[in-house]
Amino acid sequence: MQYRARVLILSLTVILSGCGALPNRIVLFGPVSGCSGVSEESLLASRNSLGATTSTDELHCAMRIARNATMPSFVKSSLSSEIALHLAERQAPGADREALAAEGVKLAERSLSAGGKQDAAVHYYLAANLGLAINDHPVQAAENLHRLEDELTLAVKISKAVDQGGPLRLLGMLYLKAPPWPTGVGDGDKALSLLKESVDEFGDHPLNHLFYAEALFEVDEKTAEAQAEIKKGQLLLANGPWGNNREIWQKEFADVINEVAKAPR
Amino acid sequence: MRLFSLQFTLALASFLFSGLAASVPAPVVVCYPGGPVSEDDANKAMSAMLNVVEKVGGWPTQSFSSAFSSDVEGCKILLKEKKPAFAITSLGIFLDQRQSLHLEPVVQPKMRGGSTEEFHLVAVKGHFGSLNDVKGKQVGGTVFEEAEFIRRIVFAGKLDPQKDFSLKPSKQAIRALRALDKGELDAVLLNGQQFAALASLPLTHELESVFTSAPIPLMGLVANQKASSPEERNRFAKALSDMCSDPDGKKLCELFAIDAFVPASQAAIQPAISLWEKGR
Repeated sequence: MQYRARVLILSLTVILSGCGALPNRIVLFGPVSGCSGVSEESLLASRNSLGATTSTDELHCAMRIARNATMPSFVKSSLSSEIALHLAERQAPGADREALAAEGVKLAERSLSAGGKQDAAVHYYLAANLGLAINDHPVQAAENLHRLEDELTLAVKISKAVDQGGPLRLLGMLYLKAPPWPTGVGDGDKALSLLKESVDEFGDHPLNHLFYAEALFEVDEKTAEAQAEIKKGQLLLANGPWGNNREIWQKEFADVINEVAKAPR
Repeated sequence: MRLFSLQFTLALASFLFSGLAASVPAPVVVCYPGGPVSEDDANKAMSAMLNVVEKVGGWPTQSFSSAFSSDVEGCKILLKEKKPAFAITSLGIFLDQRQSLHLEPVVQPKMRGGSTEEFHLVAVKGHFGSLNDVKGKQVGGTVFEEAEFIRRIVFAGKLDPQKDFSLKPSKQAIRALRALDKGELDAVLLNGQQFAALASLPLTHELESVFTSAPIPLMGLVANQKASSPEERNRFAKALSDMCSDPDGKKLCELFAIDAFVPASQAAIQPAISLWEKGR
């Protein structure tokens, strides 16, 4: 998940960016060929292959289907919200990204209404989209901190395995980057615990190592251990099937490496 | 000294910027000693905030620049190098730099009904009978980044934390309080905001205040008297005073539990200045 809790939480400090509801605009896509064979059934059947390596054209086709989905098993699933998130993450920061992420939130809410409350992925993708949608709107972000915490806590409770420890990863970063008690939900102990668990249980995901490294560095000032985690993450990133995410995550790694390098020796 | 939250500090900064009508970038130094935030992160937030404020205030982009530090010495360096007309500092940094930088308090926040706060040294109920009993014990808290401020102002020179306590500073108060609850610390020094929120924590042991400081003024915006005009200072003071009645500002004030911004009271701050000077 390339949406970063860091940016979200820091944005809480930015004010006057406007309040109000999430964007309610549909992002339209240009003509795409090859959509004829795509259906709710086919998307459900191939959902495990949907992700970083899926082409943007394929995602556009999938999004068109998701918007008009009627099949109960499709509507109830997290698939629509997940597709929206993949598309949003590929947009540059701005109105289209926010609109797609906001649509991802609404699609997740549609899933919850359709009976998806026991699906961890629905809660997880709702939170991930919500984070992205409000990234540059700090008053909204502050207002939604508890909702993010609640959705991710539910996701963790139901299943930690979504997106290779995604609920642990995002909730951990929420606690790491949020303003700490007494002004916010930030909690270094919780962050360390969740992010360590993400590494222990889902050690193949590079961001789990990167985020745990950040927690080790920021909470306990364990620079050497943080650097070791970063190296593990870099190795995974270089050799794994991370498709469109690789370049974005490399930047994330570079930022943390830079931060750790500034630490007093 | 974290007299109020980072969000509040930066929020205050944004309103400061909203009062500016600069034609060239105006540096503003924001100090948050001991804060659990990286300077890179904070500076990114400040830049984003400036963009928003510039838009809202109708100023050209890049009209303002910010400089943030969560480190006392780093902050002093920024103040020296940037020579800002305005800064948002802790009371400790204000007192320390007041004379050399000709600083004057402009605006104070009003929180929980007042513009002062009391610091509390808390311990498990019944463990200590007096402050003297805590001497030599392990004491934690987020507020020790400014040890000299704690010595001179909070303890009014009657006790030197660095000599009289075994200090275990923490970047998060909640960690220190958990350590206290587990018996890993003997006492924790809390600021007013932290103490007021104690009841929200699910701790095993009941805590009590072993020591309570005299009321200490909350610090907000300060100005360099030689780098700013009285008109500019008044303009800032008015902009901030109007903030909590502004539609956007009101929401922000509520969000961060700020009742209002009020003109700085020299009478309220003078005792702290006297204590500081006395402690030299």
